[in-house]
Amino acid sequence: MDTFLAALFSGTSRGAIYALVALGLVIVWRGAGVVNFAQMGQAMFSTYIASTLIQNGNPYWVGFFVALFAGAALGALLDILVMRPLSNKKKTELLSSESMRAAIPVIASLGILGVLQALAGIIWAAEERGFPAPAAQEGFTVAGSVMPFTSFDVFVISIVLATLTMTTIFFKKTGVGLAMRATALNQEVARLSGIRTNFTRTLSWAISGAASSLAGLLITPTSNLSPNTLDLVLIIGFTAAVVGGLDSPAGAVLGGFILGLVISFVTFYLSPEDVFLSILAVLLIVLIVKPRGILGGKDSRRV
Amino acid sequence: MLTIENLTTSFGSVIALDGISMSAQESKITTVIGANGAGKSTLLRTISGLESPTSGSITWEGQSIVGRKPEDIVRAGIAHVPEGHAVISELSVEENINMGSLFRRRTHKSDVAASLEEMYQLFPRLQERRKQLAGTLSGGERQMLAISRALVSRPRLLLLDEPSLGLAPLVVEQIIDCVNTLCRSTGLTVLLVEQNANTALGVADHGVLLALGKVVADRPAAELKADSTLRAAYLGY
Repeated sequence: MDTFLAALFSGTSRGAIYALVALGLVIVWRGAGVVNFAQMGQAMFSTYIASTLIQNGNPYWVGFFVALFAGAALGALLDILVMRPLSNKKKTELLSSESMRAAIPVIASLGILGVLQALAGIIWAAEERGFPAPAAQEGFTVAGSVMPFTSFDVFVISIVLATLTMTTIFFKKTGVGLAMRATALNQEVARLSGIRTNFTRTLSWAISGAASSLAGLLITPTSNLSPNTLDLVLIIGFTAAVVGGLDSPAGAVLGGFILGLVISFVTFYLSPEDVFLSILAVLLIVLIVKPRGILGGKDSRRV
Repeated sequence: MLTIENLTTSFGSVIALDGISMSAQESKITTVIGANGAGKSTLLRTISGLESPTSGSITWEGQSIVGRKPEDIVRAGIAHVPEGHAVISELSVEENINMGSLFRRRTHKSDVAASLEEMYQLFPRLQERRKQLAGTLSGGERQMLAISRALVSRPRLLLLDEPSLGLAPLVVEQIIDCVNTLCRSTGLTVLLVEQNANTALGVADHGVLLALGKVVADRPAAELKADSTLRAAYLGY
């Protein structure tokens, strides 16, 4: 029973973070039509900024909010400096095939990931460092026994749920949210409606950058920080997004929790070595049964 | 008033518009007719900024709009309803309409709400279906929705591309009637592209006949309608 509870709680807490990563991917995919592999590179970079600030004696929350802001700024900057010029070049006759053109920004995002990791290595050295948690990482004590659930877990789950609620309301209820959805769904009709699509795309990158920075801040207390530590998180987050349906924010969240729980239960009941196999198994089963993901719409792209 | 001079638009080596000169008179319906591939849609897409011309000028209310972005041209008062019931299927009916007035939502708050109500009065069926996804609408309803989306931007010039495409004659009549009423009652200028020349000339004040990217005739609609030689040569009936 204790093992079960421990697996359940740690899976939920981890799943919340994967949900956040997946949500970041879905926002850029829907808002700009790009699968952004640089996302956790951006998160790593802004977490380093937070880490440096905290090590220099600033309070945790200063580092936290500066990192969120830096993540948003970096996302916006990448769109303006790299993605927008690339999409303006789309119509060159050299690359006439549609799938080749769609691949360009994805390859560019892999390049950006490499550059960010190299830069982080140069600036902060490549060795691992710890990152503080804003809440205790010891389990609660109930009736004399230590529960497998920490205040930090509570913090992670509540902050992720708050973020998810806020993004949902933002997309559904605000004018800017509608403009962003319209841009993602049909850029031509959006522009003819007077929506400044360049701006809404950049905004997608910024929001996604902030969301993934948040994921970086929440996962590094348990995994340490190095230029490459977040790669694995990106892979799991991407799988979560695909499992849930790449075009569905709700699906991304669902996928994140499913993967978090699967990984946690496999780690507790089988062995940590089987984690990758289990991720692959989940991915395969979902893709065979529902090729567009659990909550993917009928118009979404097959993986 | 919209004035176009010597407008040329090409796609690679294909010249879609070949030195077009014409105008759309204020508060009148001007129709552009011609066979498939005559350049009608390209003309509207060039006016609304979706395509950039290789040469020539487009003057709207005294200012050149060549080279401006589509989103800025809408804001300058030109709304374009592109071919094929251009709505966003994954958004609800109301979201599709609201999309067209997003850029005015801060500056003209009360008018934005009023414009939505006007659309519901104009097309009551859209109000019944306001929460439904646009993808579930019939072809005629989608066309009404696309027109509503354009109208809530409060345009002074409406560019309509083949509103009759794929619709039943009764629905076509209803939509054309509606555009006619709007033009006569609010003074809206309309540039109507149609392959269905008979219907278009019946409602328009002025007609421009295009063939292979060139203007073949530019006359009052009634005159054009009566010219059986032109009709036989270019429209095939």
